[in-house]
Amino acid sequence: MNASMSREERFEQVGLLQIEQGEALGDDFAHPELAATRRTYGALRQALTTVGEEASPPAGWEARVFATIARRKSARRRGGWLRLLIPAGAAAALAALLLVGTPPGPDEGVATLTVRVEAGAGPARRGSEAHPGDRLRLEARTGDAAHAELRVYRSDRELVLRCSTAPPCVRQGQTLRADVPLPALGTYQSLLLLSDSPLPAPAGTLDADAGSALEAGAHVTLGDEVSVQ
Amino acid sequence: MSAALSAPPAEDEALEALERGDRKAALTVLMRDYGATLYRYCCKMVGNNDLAEEAHQMTFVQAYEGLARFAGRSSLRTWLFGIARHRCLDAAKIARRRSRRFELVDELPESPDEAEVAEDELAGRDLRQALGRCIDKLAPAVRTAVLLRYQQDISYPDMAQICKARPATLQARVARAMPVLRRCMENQGLRL
Repeated sequence: MNASMSREERFEQVGLLQIEQGEALGDDFAHPELAATRRTYGALRQALTTVGEEASPPAGWEARVFATIARRKSARRRGGWLRLLIPAGAAAALAALLLVGTPPGPDEGVATLTVRVEAGAGPARRGSEAHPGDRLRLEARTGDAAHAELRVYRSDRELVLRCSTAPPCVRQGQTLRADVPLPALGTYQSLLLLSDSPLPAPAGTLDADAGSALEAGAHVTLGDEVSVQ
Repeated sequence: MSAALSAPPAEDEALEALERGDRKAALTVLMRDYGATLYRYCCKMVGNNDLAEEAHQMTFVQAYEGLARFAGRSSLRTWLFGIARHRCLDAAKIARRRSRRFELVDELPESPDEAEVAEDELAGRDLRQALGRCIDKLAPAVRTAVLLRYQQDISYPDMAQICKARPATLQARVARAMPVLRRCMENQGLRL
Protein backbone atom coordinates (compact mmCIF):
# COMPACT_ATOMS: atom_id res chain seq x y z
CA MET A 1 0.00 0.00 0.00
CA ASN A 2 1.36 3.40 -0.95
CA ALA A 3 2.30 5.33 2.22
CA SER A 4 1.35 8.63 0.65
CA MET A 5 -2.18 7.43 -0.01
CA SER A 6 -4.84 9.39 1.80
CA ARG A 7 -7.26 7.75 4.21
CA GLU A 8 -10.06 8.22 1.69
CA GLU A 9 -8.03 6.60 -1.08
CA ARG A 10 -7.27 3.64 1.19
CA PHE A 11 -10.96 3.37 2.00
CA GLU A 12 -11.78 3.27 -1.70
CA GLN A 13 -9.16 0.64 -2.38
CA VAL A 14 -9.57 -1.55 0.70
CA GLY A 15 -12.66 -0.51 2.63
CA LEU A 16 -15.06 -0.82 -0.29
CA LEU A 17 -13.76 -4.31 -0.99
CA GLN A 18 -14.25 -5.23 2.66
CA ILE A 19 -17.85 -4.07 2.39
CA GLU A 20 -18.44 -6.24 -0.67
CA GLN A 21 -16.83 -9.17 1.09
CA GLY A 22 -19.20 -8.68 3.99
CA GLU A 23 -16.37 -7.99 6.40
CA ALA A 24 -16.36 -5.47 9.22
CA LEU A 25 -14.51 -2.28 8.32
CA GLY A 26 -11.08 -1.89 9.86
CA ASP A 27 -10.67 0.65 12.68
CA ASP A 28 -8.90 3.05 10.35
CA PHE A 29 -11.99 3.27 8.18
CA ALA A 30 -14.22 4.10 11.15
CA HIS A 31 -12.33 7.38 11.53
CA PRO A 32 -14.66 10.43 11.75
CA GLU A 33 -12.77 11.97 8.86
CA LEU A 34 -14.33 9.35 6.62
CA ALA A 35 -17.89 9.81 7.83
CA ALA A 36 -18.93 11.80 4.74
CA THR A 37 -17.24 9.30 2.43
CA ARG A 38 -18.98 6.37 4.08
CA ARG A 39 -22.29 8.19 3.77
CA THR A 40 -21.63 8.90 0.10
CA TYR A 41 -21.02 5.25 -0.69
CA GLY A 42 -23.98 4.20 1.41
CA ALA A 43 -26.13 6.57 -0.63
CA LEU A 44 -24.62 5.24 -3.85
CA ARG A 45 -25.42 1.65 -2.89
CA GLN A 46 -28.96 2.70 -2.05
CA ALA A 47 -29.35 4.61 -5.32
CA LEU A 48 -28.16 1.56 -7.26
CA THR A 49 -31.09 -0.47 -5.94
CA THR A 50 -33.48 1.88 -7.74
CA VAL A 51 -31.76 2.05 -11.12
CA GLY A 52 -34.17 1.32 -13.94
CA GLU A 53 -37.11 1.28 -11.54
CA GLU A 54 -39.25 3.17 -14.06
CA ALA A 55 -38.80 0.50 -16.75
CA SER A 56 -41.54 -2.08 -17.16
CA PRO A 57 -42.07 -4.67 -19.88
CA PRO A 58 -44.43 -3.71 -22.71
CA ALA A 59 -48.03 -4.88 -22.49
CA GLY A 60 -48.62 -8.29 -23.98
CA TRP A 61 -45.00 -9.41 -23.73
CA GLU A 62 -45.98 -12.73 -22.19
CA ALA A 63 -48.20 -13.52 -25.19
CA ARG A 64 -45.30 -12.74 -27.52
CA VAL A 65 -43.09 -15.15 -25.57
CA PHE A 66 -45.64 -17.93 -25.99
CA ALA A 67 -46.10 -17.07 -29.66
CA THR A 68 -42.34 -17.29 -30.21
CA ILE A 69 -42.23 -20.61 -28.36
CA ALA A 70 -45.03 -21.98 -30.55
CA ARG A 71 -43.31 -20.83 -33.72
CA ARG A 72 -39.96 -22.30 -32.75
CA LYS A 73 -41.65 -25.55 -31.81
CA SER A 74 -43.44 -25.65 -35.14
CA ALA A 75 -40.25 -24.94 -37.03
CA ARG A 76 -38.46 -27.78 -35.28
CA ARG A 77 -41.28 -30.22 -35.98
CA ARG A 78 -41.27 -29.55 -39.68
CA GLY A 79 -37.53 -29.32 -40.15
CA GLY A 80 -35.15 -26.53 -39.42
CA TRP A 81 -33.83 -26.56 -42.98
CA LEU A 82 -36.51 -24.10 -43.97
CA ARG A 83 -34.74 -21.47 -41.92
CA LEU A 84 -31.68 -21.79 -44.12
CA LEU A 85 -33.64 -20.99 -47.21
CA ILE A 86 -35.71 -18.03 -46.19
CA PRO A 87 -35.37 -15.09 -43.82
CA ALA A 88 -36.14 -15.78 -40.18
CA GLY A 89 -39.36 -13.81 -40.04
CA ALA A 90 -40.73 -15.44 -43.15
CA ALA A 91 -39.64 -18.85 -41.83
CA ALA A 92 -41.61 -18.36 -38.65
CA ALA A 93 -44.70 -17.33 -40.57
CA LEU A 94 -44.38 -20.14 -43.09
CA ALA A 95 -43.71 -22.72 -40.41
CA ALA A 96 -46.85 -21.63 -38.62
CA LEU A 97 -48.77 -21.78 -41.89
CA LEU A 98 -47.56 -25.27 -42.75
CA LEU A 99 -48.53 -26.52 -39.35
CA VAL A 100 -52.17 -25.64 -39.44
CA GLY A 101 -53.93 -28.48 -37.74
CA THR A 102 -50.94 -29.96 -35.97
CA PRO A 103 -52.10 -30.87 -32.48
CA PRO A 104 -50.08 -29.44 -29.62
CA GLY A 105 -47.50 -31.69 -28.01
CA PRO A 106 -47.96 -33.57 -24.75
CA ASP A 107 -46.12 -30.89 -22.82
CA GLU A 108 -48.78 -28.30 -23.45
CA GLY A 109 -50.66 -29.07 -20.25
CA VAL A 110 -54.41 -29.30 -20.00
CA ALA A 111 -55.21 -26.44 -22.35
CA THR A 112 -54.71 -27.08 -26.04
CA LEU A 113 -55.95 -25.30 -29.12
CA THR A 114 -56.03 -27.09 -32.46
CA VAL A 115 -56.48 -25.05 -35.63
CA ARG A 116 -57.60 -26.52 -38.96
CA VAL A 117 -58.46 -24.91 -42.25
CA GLU A 118 -61.49 -26.21 -44.11
CA ALA A 119 -61.48 -25.42 -47.79
CA GLY A 120 -64.46 -23.57 -49.18
CA ALA A 121 -65.66 -26.76 -50.85
CA GLY A 122 -64.08 -29.85 -49.44
CA PRO A 123 -62.79 -31.53 -46.32
CA ALA A 124 -60.59 -30.01 -43.67
CA ARG A 125 -57.00 -29.80 -44.84
CA ARG A 126 -53.72 -29.71 -43.05
CA GLY A 127 -50.65 -27.81 -44.00
CA SER A 128 -52.16 -26.00 -46.92
CA GLU A 129 -52.72 -22.40 -47.74
CA ALA A 130 -55.94 -20.74 -46.74
CA HIS A 131 -57.87 -18.66 -49.20
CA PRO A 132 -60.74 -16.22 -48.83
CA GLY A 133 -63.91 -18.26 -48.39
CA ASP A 134 -62.20 -21.03 -46.41
CA ARG A 135 -63.19 -21.64 -42.81
CA LEU A 136 -61.19 -21.96 -39.64
CA ARG A 137 -62.09 -24.85 -37.37
CA LEU A 138 -61.00 -24.40 -33.77
CA GLU A 139 -61.08 -27.14 -31.19
CA ALA A 140 -59.89 -26.48 -27.67
CA ARG A 141 -59.44 -28.61 -24.58
CA THR A 142 -60.48 -26.44 -21.69
CA GLY A 143 -60.01 -28.66 -18.66
CA ASP A 144 -62.24 -27.65 -15.79
CA ALA A 145 -61.90 -23.90 -16.30
CA ALA A 146 -65.09 -22.08 -15.31
CA HIS A 147 -64.62 -19.54 -18.10
CA ALA A 148 -63.35 -20.50 -21.53
CA GLU A 149 -63.32 -18.23 -24.52
CA LEU A 150 -62.10 -18.46 -28.09
CA ARG A 151 -60.93 -15.38 -29.92
CA VAL A 152 -59.55 -14.85 -33.40
CA TYR A 153 -57.69 -11.74 -34.46
CA ARG A 154 -57.04 -10.69 -38.02
CA SER A 155 -53.59 -9.16 -38.55
CA ASP A 156 -53.32 -8.78 -34.74
CA ARG A 157 -55.54 -5.70 -34.82
CA GLU A 158 -59.07 -6.79 -35.66
CA LEU A 159 -61.11 -9.07 -33.40
CA VAL A 160 -63.15 -11.26 -35.76
CA LEU A 161 -64.40 -13.87 -33.28
CA ARG A 162 -65.15 -13.89 -29.60
CA CYS A 163 -67.34 -16.61 -28.13
CA SER A 164 -67.62 -18.97 -25.19
CA THR A 165 -70.93 -20.80 -24.94
CA ALA A 166 -73.05 -19.07 -27.57
CA PRO A 167 -72.78 -19.78 -31.33
CA PRO A 168 -70.57 -20.09 -33.19
CA CYS A 169 -68.98 -21.66 -30.08
CA VAL A 170 -70.17 -25.02 -28.83
CA ARG A 171 -68.95 -26.23 -25.45
CA GLN A 172 -69.35 -29.89 -24.62
CA GLY A 173 -67.73 -31.05 -21.42
CA GLN A 174 -64.07 -30.10 -21.61
CA THR A 175 -64.13 -29.30 -25.32
CA LEU A 176 -64.87 -25.98 -26.94
CA ARG A 177 -65.33 -25.76 -30.72
CA ALA A 178 -66.00 -23.00 -33.19
CA ASP A 179 -66.12 -22.52 -36.94
CA VAL A 180 -65.04 -19.17 -38.30
CA PRO A 181 -65.27 -17.91 -41.90
CA LEU A 182 -62.10 -16.44 -43.40
CA PRO A 183 -63.52 -13.81 -45.73
CA ALA A 184 -60.53 -11.50 -46.11
CA LEU A 185 -56.78 -11.64 -46.69
CA GLY A 186 -54.53 -11.39 -43.67
CA THR A 187 -53.04 -13.43 -40.85
CA TYR A 188 -55.46 -14.98 -38.38
CA GLN A 189 -54.28 -15.65 -34.84
CA SER A 190 -56.52 -17.71 -32.59
CA LEU A 191 -56.47 -17.57 -28.82
CA LEU A 192 -57.91 -19.77 -26.09
CA LEU A 193 -58.45 -18.00 -22.77
CA LEU A 194 -59.15 -20.00 -19.63
CA SER A 195 -59.88 -18.67 -16.19
CA ASP A 196 -61.81 -19.46 -13.05
CA SER A 197 -62.96 -15.84 -12.88
CA PRO A 198 -64.68 -13.76 -15.58
CA LEU A 199 -62.37 -12.78 -18.41
CA PRO A 200 -61.69 -9.10 -19.15
CA ALA A 201 -63.51 -7.67 -22.15
CA PRO A 202 -61.32 -7.33 -25.23
CA ALA A 203 -60.09 -3.99 -26.48
CA GLY A 204 -59.63 -5.40 -29.96
CA THR A 205 -55.90 -5.92 -30.43
CA LEU A 206 -54.07 -9.17 -29.82
CA ASP A 207 -51.23 -7.80 -27.70
CA ALA A 208 -53.42 -5.66 -25.47
CA ASP A 209 -56.07 -8.32 -24.99
CA ALA A 210 -53.64 -11.15 -24.31
CA GLY A 211 -51.78 -8.87 -21.92
CA SER A 212 -54.88 -7.87 -19.98
CA ALA A 213 -56.04 -11.49 -19.80
CA LEU A 214 -52.68 -12.58 -18.43
CA GLU A 215 -52.71 -9.74 -15.95
CA ALA A 216 -56.16 -10.92 -14.83
CA GLY A 217 -54.67 -14.34 -14.14
CA ALA A 218 -56.09 -16.11 -17.20
CA HIS A 219 -54.28 -18.93 -18.97
CA VAL A 220 -53.64 -17.92 -22.58
CA THR A 221 -52.97 -20.46 -25.33
CA LEU A 222 -52.09 -19.37 -28.85
CA GLY A 223 -53.12 -21.46 -31.80
CA ASP A 224 -51.06 -21.71 -34.97
CA GLU A 225 -51.26 -18.61 -37.10
CA VAL A 226 -53.12 -18.93 -40.41
CA SER A 227 -52.32 -16.75 -43.37
CA VAL A 228 -55.10 -16.17 -45.87
CA GLN A 229 -53.68 -15.33 -49.29
CA MET B 1 -33.45 -3.79 -2.16
CA SER B 2 -35.40 -6.17 -4.30
CA ALA B 3 -37.87 -8.39 -2.55
CA ALA B 4 -37.33 -11.21 -4.98
CA LEU B 5 -34.87 -13.01 -2.70
CA SER B 6 -37.60 -13.46 -0.15
CA ALA B 7 -40.02 -14.87 -2.68
CA PRO B 8 -39.66 -18.64 -2.46
CA PRO B 9 -43.39 -19.20 -3.12
CA ALA B 10 -42.71 -18.42 -6.79
CA GLU B 11 -39.95 -21.01 -6.85
CA ASP B 12 -42.15 -23.58 -5.13
CA GLU B 13 -45.07 -22.89 -7.43
CA ALA B 14 -42.92 -23.17 -10.53
CA LEU B 15 -41.20 -26.33 -9.29
CA GLU B 16 -44.55 -27.93 -8.51
CA ALA B 17 -45.70 -27.16 -12.05
CA LEU B 18 -42.51 -28.71 -13.40
CA GLU B 19 -43.09 -31.84 -11.35
CA ARG B 20 -46.51 -32.12 -12.98
CA GLY B 21 -44.78 -31.78 -16.33
CA ASP B 22 -46.51 -28.46 -16.98
CA ARG B 23 -43.72 -26.29 -18.35
CA LYS B 24 -46.16 -23.70 -19.55
CA ALA B 25 -47.53 -23.16 -16.06
CA ALA B 26 -43.99 -23.03 -14.66
CA LEU B 27 -43.00 -20.41 -17.22
CA THR B 28 -46.13 -18.40 -16.47
CA VAL B 29 -45.12 -18.26 -12.80
CA LEU B 30 -41.57 -17.23 -13.70
CA MET B 31 -42.83 -14.51 -16.05
CA ARG B 32 -45.26 -13.25 -13.44
CA ASP B 33 -42.73 -13.07 -10.61
CA TYR B 34 -39.46 -12.33 -12.36
CA GLY B 35 -40.54 -10.72 -15.63
CA ALA B 36 -40.46 -7.13 -14.42
CA THR B 37 -37.23 -7.31 -12.45
CA LEU B 38 -35.48 -9.15 -15.29
CA TYR B 39 -36.66 -6.47 -17.68
CA ARG B 40 -35.04 -3.78 -15.50
CA TYR B 41 -31.81 -5.73 -15.61
CA CYS B 42 -31.96 -6.17 -19.39
CA CYS B 43 -32.69 -2.49 -19.99
CA LYS B 44 -29.67 -1.36 -17.99
CA MET B 45 -27.43 -4.09 -19.35
CA VAL B 46 -28.25 -3.47 -22.99
CA GLY B 47 -28.85 0.27 -23.02
CA ASN B 48 -31.23 0.01 -25.99
CA ASN B 49 -34.90 -0.60 -25.34
CA ASP B 50 -35.67 -2.57 -28.51
CA LEU B 51 -32.72 -4.88 -28.04
CA ALA B 52 -33.45 -5.19 -24.31
CA GLU B 53 -37.02 -6.23 -25.07
CA GLU B 54 -35.77 -8.87 -27.47
CA ALA B 55 -33.21 -10.18 -24.98
CA HIS B 56 -35.85 -10.23 -22.25
CA GLN B 57 -38.27 -12.15 -24.45
CA MET B 58 -35.65 -14.64 -25.62
CA THR B 59 -34.62 -15.27 -22.02
CA PHE B 60 -38.07 -16.66 -21.29
CA VAL B 61 -38.30 -18.52 -24.60
CA GLN B 62 -35.01 -20.27 -23.84
CA ALA B 63 -36.09 -20.82 -20.25
CA TYR B 64 -39.19 -22.64 -21.51
CA GLU B 65 -37.05 -24.79 -23.78
CA GLY B 66 -34.62 -25.56 -20.97
CA LEU B 67 -37.08 -26.09 -18.13
CA ALA B 68 -37.43 -29.79 -18.89
CA ARG B 69 -33.71 -30.17 -18.21
CA PHE B 70 -33.61 -27.92 -15.14
CA ALA B 71 -31.60 -29.91 -12.60
CA GLY B 72 -32.16 -27.79 -9.53
CA ARG B 73 -28.49 -27.03 -8.97
CA SER B 74 -29.48 -23.43 -8.29
CA SER B 75 -32.69 -21.56 -7.68
CA LEU B 76 -34.86 -20.96 -10.71
CA ARG B 77 -34.22 -17.25 -10.31
CA THR B 78 -30.44 -17.74 -10.47
CA TRP B 79 -30.83 -20.06 -13.43
CA LEU B 80 -33.05 -17.51 -15.19
CA PHE B 81 -30.55 -14.71 -14.64
CA GLY B 82 -27.84 -16.97 -16.04
CA ILE B 83 -29.79 -17.18 -19.29
CA ALA B 84 -30.57 -13.46 -19.21
CA ARG B 85 -26.92 -12.59 -18.72
CA HIS B 86 -25.97 -14.34 -21.96
CA ARG B 87 -28.84 -12.86 -23.93
CA CYS B 88 -28.19 -9.37 -22.60
CA LEU B 89 -24.45 -9.54 -23.22
CA ASP B 90 -25.17 -10.57 -26.81
CA ALA B 91 -27.63 -7.71 -27.17
CA ALA B 92 -25.17 -5.30 -25.56
CA LYS B 93 -22.57 -6.30 -28.14
CA ILE B 94 -24.99 -5.48 -30.90
CA ALA B 95 -25.84 -2.18 -29.24
CA ARG B 96 -22.16 -1.40 -28.84
CA ARG B 97 -21.47 -2.07 -32.48
CA ARG B 98 -24.29 0.27 -33.32
CA SER B 99 -23.38 3.10 -31.06
CA ARG B 100 -19.72 2.65 -30.13
CA ARG B 101 -20.52 4.39 -26.91
CA PHE B 102 -19.23 1.98 -24.24
CA GLU B 103 -15.98 2.64 -22.47
CA LEU B 104 -13.97 0.46 -20.16
CA VAL B 105 -14.03 1.36 -16.48
CA ASP B 106 -10.48 2.60 -16.59
CA GLU B 107 -11.29 4.76 -19.54
CA LEU B 108 -14.07 6.71 -17.90
CA PRO B 109 -13.55 10.44 -18.20
CA GLU B 110 -11.93 11.93 -15.14
CA SER B 111 -13.08 15.44 -15.82
CA PRO B 112 -16.56 16.76 -16.48
CA ASP B 113 -17.73 16.54 -20.02
CA GLU B 114 -18.91 20.02 -20.85
CA ALA B 115 -21.59 18.66 -23.14
CA GLU B 116 -22.96 16.55 -20.31
CA VAL B 117 -23.10 19.25 -17.67
CA ALA B 118 -24.99 21.87 -19.59
CA GLU B 119 -27.01 23.82 -17.06
CA ASP B 120 -30.35 23.18 -18.71
CA GLU B 121 -29.77 19.49 -18.65
CA LEU B 122 -28.54 19.52 -15.08
CA ALA B 123 -31.58 21.38 -13.92
CA GLY B 124 -33.94 18.64 -15.00
CA ARG B 125 -31.72 15.67 -14.40
CA ASP B 126 -32.91 12.95 -12.16
CA LEU B 127 -30.30 11.34 -9.96
CA ARG B 128 -31.47 7.90 -11.00
CA GLN B 129 -31.14 8.72 -14.68
CA ALA B 130 -27.69 10.17 -14.12
CA LEU B 131 -26.61 7.06 -12.28
CA GLY B 132 -28.06 4.96 -15.07
CA ARG B 133 -25.91 6.81 -17.56
CA CYS B 134 -22.84 6.22 -15.45
CA ILE B 135 -23.64 2.52 -15.31
CA ASP B 136 -23.96 2.51 -19.09
CA LYS B 137 -20.32 3.55 -19.26
CA LEU B 138 -19.06 0.57 -17.29
CA ALA B 139 -17.60 -2.37 -19.18
CA PRO B 140 -20.27 -5.06 -19.65
CA ALA B 141 -18.74 -7.53 -17.18
CA VAL B 142 -18.50 -4.84 -14.52
CA ARG B 143 -21.96 -3.53 -15.27
CA THR B 144 -23.41 -7.02 -14.89
CA ALA B 145 -21.76 -7.45 -11.51
CA VAL B 146 -22.97 -4.08 -10.21
CA LEU B 147 -26.53 -4.63 -11.41
CA LEU B 148 -26.82 -8.17 -10.12
CA ARG B 149 -25.42 -7.17 -6.74
CA TYR B 150 -27.37 -3.99 -6.12
CA GLN B 151 -30.25 -3.62 -8.56
CA GLN B 152 -31.17 -7.28 -8.19
CA ASP B 153 -29.89 -7.92 -4.64
CA ILE B 154 -28.31 -11.23 -5.63
CA SER B 155 -25.72 -12.78 -3.33
CA TYR B 156 -22.14 -13.27 -4.48
CA PRO B 157 -22.38 -17.08 -4.41
CA ASP B 158 -25.43 -16.88 -6.70
CA MET B 159 -23.73 -14.27 -8.87
CA ALA B 160 -20.79 -16.65 -9.21
CA GLN B 161 -23.14 -19.25 -10.70
CA ILE B 162 -24.73 -16.72 -13.02
CA CYS B 163 -21.47 -15.16 -14.21
CA LYS B 164 -19.30 -18.28 -14.09
CA ALA B 165 -16.72 -16.34 -12.08
CA ARG B 166 -15.31 -16.57 -8.57
CA PRO B 167 -17.11 -14.56 -5.87
CA ALA B 168 -13.84 -12.78 -5.05
CA THR B 169 -13.51 -11.64 -8.65
CA LEU B 170 -17.03 -10.29 -8.65
CA GLN B 171 -16.53 -8.55 -5.30
CA ALA B 172 -13.44 -6.86 -6.65
CA ARG B 173 -15.28 -5.76 -9.79
CA VAL B 174 -18.07 -4.18 -7.80
CA ALA B 175 -15.71 -2.57 -5.27
CA ARG B 176 -13.63 -1.03 -8.05
CA ALA B 177 -16.72 0.22 -9.85
CA MET B 178 -18.01 2.17 -6.85
CA PRO B 179 -15.43 5.02 -6.91
CA VAL B 180 -15.80 5.14 -10.69
CA LEU B 181 -19.54 5.64 -10.36
CA ARG B 182 -19.03 8.24 -7.65
CA ARG B 183 -16.63 10.26 -9.81
CA CYS B 184 -18.94 9.93 -12.78
CA MET B 185 -21.83 11.34 -10.75
CA GLU B 186 -19.67 14.15 -9.43
CA ASN B 187 -18.50 14.91 -12.91
CA GLN B 188 -22.13 15.44 -13.84
CA GLY B 189 -22.44 17.92 -11.00
CA LEU B 190 -24.30 15.55 -8.70
CA ARG B 191 -23.25 14.73 -5.16
CA LEU B 192 -24.77 11.74 -3.40
